Order: sequence, then structure tokens, then C-alpha cells
Amino acid sequence: MSSTGTYDRFEVLDAGRVLGDLSTDEVKEWNELARKHQSENSGELDWISAEFELRNSEPCPLSSSLLNRLNDTIPAFTNKSVPKPSSTNIISIIPWLGWAAAACLVVFFNLPTGDGVQNVSAELAQANAELSDKAKTITDLESAKQELAKLNEKLSGELATESGKIDALNTQIAKLTETLPLLQKFESLIQDDSDTQRLEFASASDPYNGLSGEVIWNDEKQEGYMSLENLAVNDPTKNQYQLWIVDPDRDELPVDGGVFDITLKDGKSIIPIRNALQVTKPAAFVITLEQPGGVVKSKQEVVVALAES
Amino acid sequence: MQLRNFILFSNIDSLRFALGIVASDGSQSNANESLLPLVAKGDGQAMKRCIDAYGPLVWSIVCRRISERNDAEETCQEIFTEVWQKAGSYNPKLARESTFIGLIARRRSIDWQRKQNRLPLLTDLESIPEASAATPLAGINLDRELLWKVLEQLPKKTRELFSLHFVKGMTHEEIGNETGLPLGTVKTRLRRGLIDARKLLKDFKLEEASKR
Repeated sequence: MSSTGTYDRFEVLDAGRVLGDLSTDEVKEWNELARKHQSENSGELDWISAEFELRNSEPCPLSSSLLNRLNDTIPAFTNKSVPKPSSTNIISIIPWLGWAAAACLVVFFNLPTGDGVQNVSAELAQANAELSDKAKTITDLESAKQELAKLNEKLSGELATESGKIDALNTQIAKLTETLPLLQKFESLIQDDSDTQRLEFASASDPYNGLSGEVIWNDEKQEGYMSLENLAVNDPTKNQYQLWIVDPDRDELPVDGGVFDITLKDGKSIIPIRNALQVTKPAAFVITLEQPGGVVKSKQEVVVALAES
Repeated sequence: MQLRNFILFSNIDSLRFALGIVASDGSQSNANESLLPLVAKGDGQAMKRCIDAYGPLVWSIVCRRISERNDAEETCQEIFTEVWQKAGSYNPKLARESTFIGLIARRRSIDWQRKQNRLPLLTDLESIPEASAATPLAGINLDRELLWKVLEQLPKKTRELFSLHFVKGMTHEEIGNETGLPLGTVKTRLRRGLIDARKLLKDFKLEEASKR
């Protein structure tokens, strides 16, 4: 294409740029041609279009909100405050009520109007639109409030769940704290060199196969403890475990070693032996499951574990 | 919110103006012709007077093309930020202050329309003529009276399209819908009309010069 041809094309595209109608491809083409014809592009079309634009522009005063926005954001004002328009610039609505009434007549009866009255109706429309905006803002705020309420409800639920977990942990800590002195006594009795007997428990029936533990007994102190693991937690209102001490030197019948409950599902339970009678040389320790409160003589219907020398 | 062609009265002068009690644009702006050089020096008070003086004109141009109030206010903000930044490039020998600011307002408003249609912004073009660099027709202020004469010389159909574009701020698509003309025809006629207007203006100036 000749230089004149490309200029003609550039001129058409430049008119498109000024009118704001260039397509994406035309923008690329304009960019290429502008490099060649930059010196010839004096911007006259811009000035002409700006004058055409201004010719029919009737100034529309800025709203106070826009003025405030400009005062807040234009770099000229960001470093120093600019006094707001004085109160004397604020117009009382009362003197203009007549105009407002006229505008209402125009709006409702579609009367033929002059420019001024049209403008008043336009202002009313603007005010209505602003009210509509505010109503939308209120709706948005209400919607946000509902979202917050839902979030609050959700968080409350989560808090309750976590609180439940904390309560369970506190209960466990309390039980462990309760067990600690017994554990210390258990360890202390093992350390005792005198005459502490130590026997391992073995399960005595199928439901208790996983059971493990041991029993320690000191004749001299008449003191003993059981250490039990994997023994099922019992419901004290339905049944309780009971320890029996077999002491052939004393009697054929085993001596009651006390009723106890298992409250910890996991971990080691330390149970003190509460022998009702003096025991001298125990040959075996037997745990049975009995009715709440235990029995005087066991029928040995459910034998849980046995430890024998 | 629809703002196009709405006029909001915030003070008594605007109402007087709307009722035709006072004259419009030109006579008002002449009193403010020396604001931009002060703005260029960083005078915040001059910038405030500039907004007071030309804000209504800018708002009028913006509202022609932008319907959403928030977008219109944001564009207005961008325009005055650009005025603040480019005031130093204003040359009073080349154009009136109102024309300089009107050009920025027009470009920014058109860019907003293009943004809605996901088209490249024209203010981002590398070689776009700066208002300062432009040399309007023999290096003097554009003679408005002459320009109106030129406008009258253009074909009626072109003037009608100019009216829809410059006065009502319609996009080419909207003009096509309004007139029933194909989009390509609207585009071509408007472009050609603008080029013809420039040529006629040059011819008028040459004619005037030869008479002297």
C-alpha cells in the first residue's frame, strides 16, 4: 500500500479511535500505522470531537457525595484537608417546594414541559433512584445480618462440640489424678523387699481373652493391689467385679477381696485389695463378675481371671 | 441507577442555568481560564476551583454514557485525577481549558463504554496524541462559531448521527437500533463525517485567510 493509501486508512482508523469504535484488530492496525504517521497525527479530530461534545453539554452540578469523594481521593487533596462547602451553600428545600410540586405534576400527568421543568423532574427521578439505592443497601445489610446469624449458629455448635471434648478430657484427667496415688502405692509395694508376692492374671473365659495384669500382695502389711488392662468397663447398676483370695491354710472357701468397677476403657486400672479377713499365704486370686454389691459366696458363674502361684 | 440525561440541582445557580436565567458553558468558563497553570504548580485550592468550575461539565459528559451512578462517580474521579496529573501539559494557546478537560472526560467515558464490551482501552494506546501535543488547525484556538458553520455543511444524515453520538452519548450499536442502520454503516458514516468536518474546517480557514 502506498504512503497516501496507508495515511487514508490511518485517518479512518484515527476517526474510529476518536469516536471510540475501534475493534480489537483495528486497535492493532492503528498502533502499527500510528508509528508511521505519528508526526501527521496532530490530534485535530480529538479537539473537534471535544468541541462537538461540549456544544450540547449542559452543566450538571455535582452532588455533595461526589464532591466529598473527589476531595477525598484527588491527589491534590490527599495531603491536606480542603474546607467543605460552607453551610450557606446549602439550599433550604422550602423555597423550592413549588418547583417540586410542578415536577410532580409533570411526572404524573405527562404535561408538555420546558427544559427547566424537565430538569426538575429529572432531579426527582434522581432522588428516587438514590432512595432505591439506599433501599438496596438496607437489603444488602439485612442479608449480611442473616449470614452473620447463620455463622454465629454454626460457630456456637462447633463451640459446644469442642466444649464436650474438653469436658471428656477433664473427666479423664480427674480419673487419672485419682489413680495416681494408687499407682504410687502399687510401685511402692513392689519396691518393698520384705514379702511381696507378685502373680500374673490370665483370662479365665472367652469374653475376657484380651485381659492382662497382675496382682501384688504383702502378707506382713496385709496390703495388695491389682493392675488390670483390657478388662471391660462394667455398668455398676447391673453387675460388678469381685476379687476372691484363695488361702488354703485358712479355709477351703476363698476370702472376699472386695468389689470393684472398671471405669477406664483404655489404660491401666489400679485396684486396691480390700480383704475382709486376714490372709496369710494366698495361693491364688480369682476375679468373678457378680451382682451389684457383690456376694458372700460366689457361684462362679462368670469367672473373669485367675492368678495363681 | 440510570443517570443518562438527568440533571441534578445542588445549588441555585444550576437551577437558574437550567431555566435559562444565566448563560451556559462558554461564558462561565472564560472566568476560569487560568486555573490549569495553577493546578500544574500543585495549587490544591486551584484544583478545588477547577472542580467547582468544570465538574458540572464533566459530570454532564460522563452521565451521557455511563448509567451506573457509582461507575459515573468513579470515572469522574479518574478524570480529575488525570486533569491533576496532566495540567502541566495544557497550553492555553492551543485550546480552551474547557476543551482540554472535555477531551479527557470524553476519552475516559468512552473507555468505560469499551470496558463494558471487553474492548481494549483507547487511553492505553501508545501513540495517542496528548492534548498538549495537538495543534488544532493552524495553531490557534478552535473557533467555535466556525465549527458550527461546518456542522451545518455536513449532510443531514451525518448530523443526525452526530447528534445521537455527541449529544445523547449513544454507542454505535444503540444508534443502529435507534435508526435501523446496520452497525457498519453507522461506523463508516460517523468516521467519514468527522474527517469531512476537519476538511471543511480547514477549507473555511483557508478561505478566511485569503479574504484578509
